[in-house]
Amino acid sequence: MPTIDISLKDLSTLLGKPITAEELEQEALLWVKGEIDGEEGDILKIDCKETNRPDLWSTEGMARALKPFFTKERGIKKYETERSGVYIHVDRSVDEVRPYITSAIIKNITITEELLKQMIQLQEKMTMTFGRKRKMLGLGLYDFDKMTPPLTYKAVKPTEAKFIPLGFTKEMTLKEVLERHPKGIEYAHLLKEYDKYPIIIDKNNVIASFPPIINSEATGKVTKETKNLFLEVTATDLEAAKVAINILSSALADRGGKIETVEIDYGKEKIITPDFTPKKAKVKFTDIERLTGMKFSLKELKELVERFGYNVKKAKDSLELEYPSYRQDILHPVDIIEDILISYGYNNIDPVIPNIPTIGELAEFEIFCESIRNVLPGFGAQETLNFTLTNKEILFDKMNIKDYDCVEIANPISSKWSCIRSFILPSLLEFFEKNNTQEYPQQVYELGEVVIIDEKAETKTQTLKHLSWMLADKGANFTKAKQMVDYLLKGLNLEYEMKEEKNPSFIEGRCAQILMNGKKYGVLGEIHPQVLKNFSLDFPTCAFEMNINELFKLKQKL
Amino acid sequence: MQELLRSLHPLERRIIPFLKNNATLADLVKESRLQEVEVMRALQWLENKEVLKINTQTKETITLNRLGKEYKEKGLPERRLLEQIKKKKCTLQEIKLEKTEINIAIGELKKKSAIQLEKEIEITEQGKKLAEKEWPEEKFLNTLPKETKNISPEEKNIYEQLKKRKDLISTEETKTRTITLTDLGKKLSKEKLSENFVESLTHAMLQENTWRNKEFRKYDVEINVPKVFAGRRQPYMEFLNKIKFKLVQLGFKEMNGPLIETEFYNFDVLFQPQNHPARTWTDTYHLKYPTTGKLPDDLIVNKIKYAHESGARTGSTGWKYKWNPDIAKLLMPRAHATAVSARQMVHGIQVPCKYFTISRVYRPDVLDATHLIEFNQLDGFVTDKSINFRTLLGMLKHFAIEIAGAEEVKFYADYYPFTEPSVQISAKHPKLGWVELGGAGIFRPEITETLGIDTPVMAWGLGIDRLAMFKLGIKDIRYLFSQDLKWLREPRIL
Repeated sequence: MPTIDISLKDLSTLLGKPITAEELEQEALLWVKGEIDGEEGDILKIDCKETNRPDLWSTEGMARALKPFFTKERGIKKYETERSGVYIHVDRSVDEVRPYITSAIIKNITITEELLKQMIQLQEKMTMTFGRKRKMLGLGLYDFDKMTPPLTYKAVKPTEAKFIPLGFTKEMTLKEVLERHPKGIEYAHLLKEYDKYPIIIDKNNVIASFPPIINSEATGKVTKETKNLFLEVTATDLEAAKVAINILSSALADRGGKIETVEIDYGKEKIITPDFTPKKAKVKFTDIERLTGMKFSLKELKELVERFGYNVKKAKDSLELEYPSYRQDILHPVDIIEDILISYGYNNIDPVIPNIPTIGELAEFEIFCESIRNVLPGFGAQETLNFTLTNKEILFDKMNIKDYDCVEIANPISSKWSCIRSFILPSLLEFFEKNNTQEYPQQVYELGEVVIIDEKAETKTQTLKHLSWMLADKGANFTKAKQMVDYLLKGLNLEYEMKEEKNPSFIEGRCAQILMNGKKYGVLGEIHPQVLKNFSLDFPTCAFEMNINELFKLKQKL
Repeated sequence: MQELLRSLHPLERRIIPFLKNNATLADLVKESRLQEVEVMRALQWLENKEVLKINTQTKETITLNRLGKEYKEKGLPERRLLEQIKKKKCTLQEIKLEKTEINIAIGELKKKSAIQLEKEIEITEQGKKLAEKEWPEEKFLNTLPKETKNISPEEKNIYEQLKKRKDLISTEETKTRTITLTDLGKKLSKEKLSENFVESLTHAMLQENTWRNKEFRKYDVEINVPKVFAGRRQPYMEFLNKIKFKLVQLGFKEMNGPLIETEFYNFDVLFQPQNHPARTWTDTYHLKYPTTGKLPDDLIVNKIKYAHESGARTGSTGWKYKWNPDIAKLLMPRAHATAVSARQMVHGIQVPCKYFTISRVYRPDVLDATHLIEFNQLDGFVTDKSINFRTLLGMLKHFAIEIAGAEEVKFYADYYPFTEPSVQISAKHPKLGWVELGGAGIFRPEITETLGIDTPVMAWGLGIDRLAMFKLGIKDIRYLFSQDLKWLREPRIL
């Protein structure tokens, strides 16, 4: 889902091999479920379809995954770490708001334009998609040389702490940051329900960050002069925080940085991050065979998984594998089997047309609807297909009737599309309105879906099929509409009667309800001139509308 | 001549006795007592038969308009103002003119340097002279009505100026039509017109057998006739029906579901975690009313919960979060047709089976030539013990050939939260080139095993709208739901 910008030159450097957009598009990008969305000079816009692999959302990550494709490199890429001796004390006050933090220090890094661009991009994509718009996870980069360890991660009252947020010159309290800083305003809702906000503070009480909102001007400025970086991830989920810090630090290590670990002291428990210990998984040969539909030799399988960045620990009856610590998309052995298939190449697989003997059939109700739809053109009626999204003005006001409950959209893209229709007549009148300069007579119909409210139903609604027909012509009248209804109901062998109905959409005394066994199934009549005017129409119009679900039920009882 | 006589329309017959050179349309209307349109039609037909020639002269006449007529009585506003201040200067408030006239009067008099405008309006020497004589524009107005071709070069400028003033004068174009008879026409006008030609065969003529001695008037078979429109099926619906029949032939059974769905069927059954970005506000519609529906029985709900939280007993780790039934109860307009498959699987299937649906789905997007906010999706699933990734690719390829008429296919790895492995298929269409045809995959075991289905289930969705647009010859996707009656009733037999 995220779309990332990468420089082809930068990717080539990281791969250690010059590469073209064509080469990528042909085959390599299939490995990382990427698709080139746009190209501008050296910059490629790549659509990353894999929502669960943030490790691929940077040039560094792409290069890492593609390296075995282009070179002889196999298995998990190794990252060496050293202990920095720095520790972060986690105060229990953060438990409620944002309990987890992970961290790393990157030493001797040369900050280049490309590195900065990629870090900003990775940070944004990771917090947006993987971090659920910072709700689950937020992260920051700092100039380590401006901080004095050890650090403390704690929560304080909104007015208790003050600092200068990044890009500002004035000191603000946390409360003021949420009220005035653009990022504060944007993300204030994440902290709304808490009375204490998280901060990261150093030995000298310098605030480094107010996660997940903004870093401080004092430590958060990373420029080309920065030599050593401090990284932190705060999250509501420890697993996600560990994955994120590994992704960040491995990307920076890919650019020549040395990773040093940080000790996180949770009181009861201490952890050291980043931790690149591979994760373990096991896939049975039989499962591979069953799901892929192919038989592989052990050698083939080993090559396929190693090329996809796995280490093979043991292979007997099943593959015992190790995979990189930053991958969090593997929930089930099927996820590994897909990697095997991708490694093999989807287009190298010989497709087999399945031979499954089943009898095809249309839904009975659909067949019924179709037989009705096929009758109306015989009368000269043109079938139409209209949107079910509409609005209350069209459904009620323009139809001259009082509004009643209908399905309403909470987040419509326009007030024009804010309801779902409960009957079709307004759709047809709107259709006529759009065609009032076309030749008359105009005769149209639609047999389509409507939704009505039903408190007792599972979805509080019923999706029904209605048939509505309408004729606009100098000779359009009640008789014409009744003739149509009569033909249809006689054709269905259904006995009906009609009773006058008072309905403000129709001319009084020229509107009838269609009854069967005393129950109403529809309405017909001459449209009221005021309604016609509401839809800018100048021709007499007659119409009917019927509930087809009910007709179907009656028909089935016959 | 006999041919000609036989082909005359009754209207033509009625007009022929009155035809003579230089007769005007008005003359003919008067003499024949027909309506003007009827005479005109008859003359045109006769012209087509080379009986006569219609000469049209256009005449532009300048006439007085509403205000022009009024001023003819009262005098132009500027004249009236000048008369008023000739005797005594006055302030703006004292002017005895209609509100709408004041600005024009002052403006015109200033142009003529007839007044001085300070606190009061005062007549100048020039004004005094002007007050004594008739102005050229007044003279011109008095000569109206007048043809434009008759205006003198001096009047031309006055005419242009007056034309700019509102409702003063108007110029109307009138056409005079006269006829000139051809040699054929001259002969025809001397012919005796037989009354024996029959215009229409009638019911009575057949019953009484009187048709035998009659001759039928001959028609001009090359003449244009008014358009007729057939009532017909909507072209996109016809396209969808053809797709449905193809699928039935391939052994698929149709399934359906409600337009308003719970998130449970839209997402939860399909193993999409509740904090998944695709479930958020901007990618799907949510309802203001009604907001919540009901969940099926606890047995199923708990299984789904268990699968999300810890993978149930499927060998999966699950999404490791706390699943919330209140989120699953939320109602929304169906966001994808896979929700229909989810419902079908929950409600029970028999193995083997093949299902499909063409379902309306909703997405908040812009509505333009390439995007719709509600559209149809073609989706389905197949389950059998023989299902694996190779048969999945085989089925997709089969679809591409049968449904899209593809010559070649290519597969891409893809991601869907509910299938693993997942694949996207592109098909090479003979005319369209490479098009993305659809996505598919094998439902995750967290979904199928949880629902008690122990054979692999392949799920697929095909994007058929591009194909429909190609078949219907349209470039704008909105035409699938066209409200353009002209286009809908165009003769089109596929």
